[in-house]
Amino acid sequence: MFNIVSLIFKYIFIIIIYLFILSIIRLIYLDIKGIDTKALNNASYLKLVNRKDTLPFKVKEYYPLDKEVYLGRGKDNQIVIRDPYISKRHLKIVEDEGNYYLEDLGSANGTYINEERILDVVKLKNGDRIRVGQIEFLYVGRE
Amino acid sequence: MFNKMVSYKYPRNLLMLFELLALFLLFIYSKDNLNKFTFIYGIGLILIVYVSNFLLLRISTGDTYIFLIVTMLISIGLIMIYRIDPLLGIKQILWIGMGIFIFFLTYLVFKNIKGWEEWTYFYGIGSIILFIITLLFGSRIRGAINWISIGGLSIQPSEIIKLLTIFLIASYYTRYEHFKKQKYGSYYLIATTYLFILFLFLQRDLGTVLILYTLFIALQFIYEENRRLILYNLLFSIVSGFLGYLLFPHVRIRFETWLNPWKYIDNKGYQITQSLFAIAEGGFFGTGLGLGHPDFIPEVHTDFIFSAICEEMGIFTGMGIIMLFLILVYRGFKIGINQKIKFYRIVAIGISILFGIQSFIIFGGVLKMIPLTGITIPFVSYGGSSMLSSFIALGILQVASEELDFEEAKDG
Amino acid sequence: MDKEIKRIITVLTAICILFVSLMAYLTYFQIFKAESVKMNSYNKRLWINEEKILRGSIIDRNGKILAYSEKVDDTYKRFYNYGNLYSHIIGYSYREYGKAGLELEYNNTLLNISESTALNELKNIVLPNTEGNTLKLTIDHHLQEYSRNLLKGHKGSIVAMNPTTGEIYAMVSLPDFNPTNLKEDWKNIVEDENSPLLNRATSGLYTPGSTFKVLTAIAAIEKKDLDREYECTGSANIDGYILKDYDGKPHGKLNLEEALVKSCNTYFGEKGVIIGKDALGEVAERFLVNKKIDFDLPVSKSSFPYKDNLGETDIAAASIGQGKLLMTPLNMALIASGIANKGDIVKPILVKEVISPEGKVLRNNQPQLLTKAVDIFTANEVKNMMVESVKRGTSRNASIKNVRVAGKTGTAENPSGKSHAWFIGFAPAEEPKIALAVVLEEEGSTGGKAAAPIARNIIIEALNTIK
Repeated sequence: MFNIVSLIFKYIFIIIIYLFILSIIRLIYLDIKGIDTKALNNASYLKLVNRKDTLPFKVKEYYPLDKEVYLGRGKDNQIVIRDPYISKRHLKIVEDEGNYYLEDLGSANGTYINEERILDVVKLKNGDRIRVGQIEFLYVGRE
Repeated sequence: MFNKMVSYKYPRNLLMLFELLALFLLFIYSKDNLNKFTFIYGIGLILIVYVSNFLLLRISTGDTYIFLIVTMLISIGLIMIYRIDPLLGIKQILWIGMGIFIFFLTYLVFKNIKGWEEWTYFYGIGSIILFIITLLFGSRIRGAINWISIGGLSIQPSEIIKLLTIFLIASYYTRYEHFKKQKYGSYYLIATTYLFILFLFLQRDLGTVLILYTLFIALQFIYEENRRLILYNLLFSIVSGFLGYLLFPHVRIRFETWLNPWKYIDNKGYQITQSLFAIAEGGFFGTGLGLGHPDFIPEVHTDFIFSAICEEMGIFTGMGIIMLFLILVYRGFKIGINQKIKFYRIVAIGISILFGIQSFIIFGGVLKMIPLTGITIPFVSYGGSSMLSSFIALGILQVASEELDFEEAKDG
Repeated sequence: MDKEIKRIITVLTAICILFVSLMAYLTYFQIFKAESVKMNSYNKRLWINEEKILRGSIIDRNGKILAYSEKVDDTYKRFYNYGNLYSHIIGYSYREYGKAGLELEYNNTLLNISESTALNELKNIVLPNTEGNTLKLTIDHHLQEYSRNLLKGHKGSIVAMNPTTGEIYAMVSLPDFNPTNLKEDWKNIVEDENSPLLNRATSGLYTPGSTFKVLTAIAAIEKKDLDREYECTGSANIDGYILKDYDGKPHGKLNLEEALVKSCNTYFGEKGVIIGKDALGEVAERFLVNKKIDFDLPVSKSSFPYKDNLGETDIAAASIGQGKLLMTPLNMALIASGIANKGDIVKPILVKEVISPEGKVLRNNQPQLLTKAVDIFTANEVKNMMVESVKRGTSRNASIKNVRVAGKTGTAENPSGKSHAWFIGFAPAEEPKIALAVVLEEEGSTGGKAAAPIARNIIIEALNTIK
């Protein structure tokens, strides 16, 4: 009995190991493709914390920040994310004298920084975690 | 339906499926002397691995693949060890549990304590002290003195020394400008390295000599500004290798048994030929777990675990392990390249080279592609020292994969 | 910074190359090396499988049991019924000393181990096999025993076979050893300078002497413009080397037939130089010299390095079977077979049938044409010359009343100082039933005196007893 099971399992094991390797290679490949490093050179940016492949909608790994950036579901935003839990125009991030400030634009589900719902304009610090809808960003600030 | 569940998009789930199947198989394998603890330990480990992989995504913003790859390697190794000797398998489970704990501990310590690059002298002197302790109190196992026992617990100081050496080299090259100003400053590192190699030669630990030497040459190749030194080093290594061959009979034996082990099949070539039999017997798909005879190979659970895996799980699994190591090394280098802080960059690359070269030396050795030196495969072979030190290295690599504070970068 | 990254990538590439070569080597090992490594007798796995299986018997063409296995105290023991008689054909199978002969070459058949495919593995686990297959040989036990008795007291080899089917009736090589007493004798056997382990019939390489003139004669017939007449004065000067006839006696005026009948060295030496090394070498290769012979046991290659830079002296020496020529007795028997069988050489076989434990014939080795060495007219012409040689020439001692025997003797000088005595031939000439080669190593006598009478007795015995 054991012999037969073992005989069948040896093929299953090999298949699983190779699927595993394949899936890791695929993830690494997606990773490399997703990084557009040129745009990030000296700017501050948002980095996606979630695993990209677990989300049912399109999202980039990195979003460089500009003078004024809007994030939302609508097409007229600079950062467009089609997450149903994100409002049409969800939040904005503005730069002032080298610092970045985040403001929730009255979204339905709110914006959280380090797991705290924000009500007012907040100054972003390097390493802050910004959560909107189903996704989470890491704020990487540079002067 | 099944396809969706094990979709290749989720390696974590594949790993869990693999482990559950293996547990099931080992369960029927040893059904005669079943032990409920075995089952509890097994399930416990699977949960720990799954939760750790999950947890890591939450706490670390860095690489998410290296830990996953390593847990796969550990699973394959553990299955084989348990099959060879259930008692060792249980011990190995404990080592793995401890290793994962140490991994997180190392992660936290390294993330929160700064200034590791300042301690150049500590790394050097620490290693030398460990060498002396080994020589004085060490016991000779299989020709090499590389074990010391403290209160019934055997540890292998050379595992720690490997990591200390990486730190030493990294901190030296981070503070390269500082050392260059001193008289003979650019020779400090070379002198220390050769001192280490001399110690290892005295211990007859040829495997570690090979690892340290490759590590040193590779890092020197990347960071040394005085390119001529590298050339001298290479020349010196060839000369000393040749001298070693002439002067030390144990070096000569390694070469002879490599060139023609069949001639010495009764004595010095016994291990390697048994290993070749096992690999040849396995074929591409293996004999199936429990259906081969890996127990014919001496030291099968440590140095020759790869041959056992090839026999029972097939060359394809063997290739899978080689590929996993290749991806691990690749990720390690990628982490190094992306790391902004020089010290962590060097450490990341050093650790990747260590994983790569150590596994290569032993894979090549048991295959008779290169002369055999007895060392363990990181994460796969049985052994506490090896497991813990490998997890420490992995923890450091995990820290290095993150974006660290920028103020430090300016100093570095 | 850039330089640093470039160097890092160099190191990464180096490690990648190491790993890829590791995988390549593993694949190479598995595909090309694994089979032979597995068969090494130190591989305990072989014996683990074997100890569970009753090894098949080996029987002769008439069903006489030559070797069998039996359970003794829970392990299977191998018995060799006729001791030394089959030491080189059947060989032996011992854990300590490994395997040889058919025990080695047909190991998987004797154990009924099939190739390890997934299906076979499953079959093996569900229905484990416990009994191996039986080998039925082409050997005739009586003729084998008879031949060995004739050769007793000499070193050398006898190969007797059916020229039309390729079946080997007898294959003797002396000195031999007793596979039953291997444990006690092993040290002596290995250290004996007469190498009893060597199967001289297939692996002994001997200078063929005048038996090779048969091939030179074929080359001469094929060279249409060759002047077949010659005046023998007892010696000839070839490129400064004096080639002498046996005893230095002149044969006088000769044609090709008379030259072969009288085995005239000067004739073949001089004509050989005219024929040239390439034509001679080409004929030899058609008769399997320099070629691998496919057989149930490993066979050494006979050699005639005619492509080397040979001088006229070397060509003359080769034409009379001396010099750089080396032949196996099996190859010489095949040459006789080829001429007997209208120029066609049939593949030699030792195993006639493989029989399953249930008595089913799993494999039946049919005659198989190996090569068309020469056309039927040339073959017949040489055959007649060989008949004349037995009737009234150097091979007289092989003649049998009422049977036309074809043959050729040889007396081969060699570095040992004592000549090898050769005879090759077949009978009856009009419808050959047996072809053979006899060589007496370092006999110090002529083929006509020493080898021909042995051949004669074997032919008589074979024609009388083999059906």
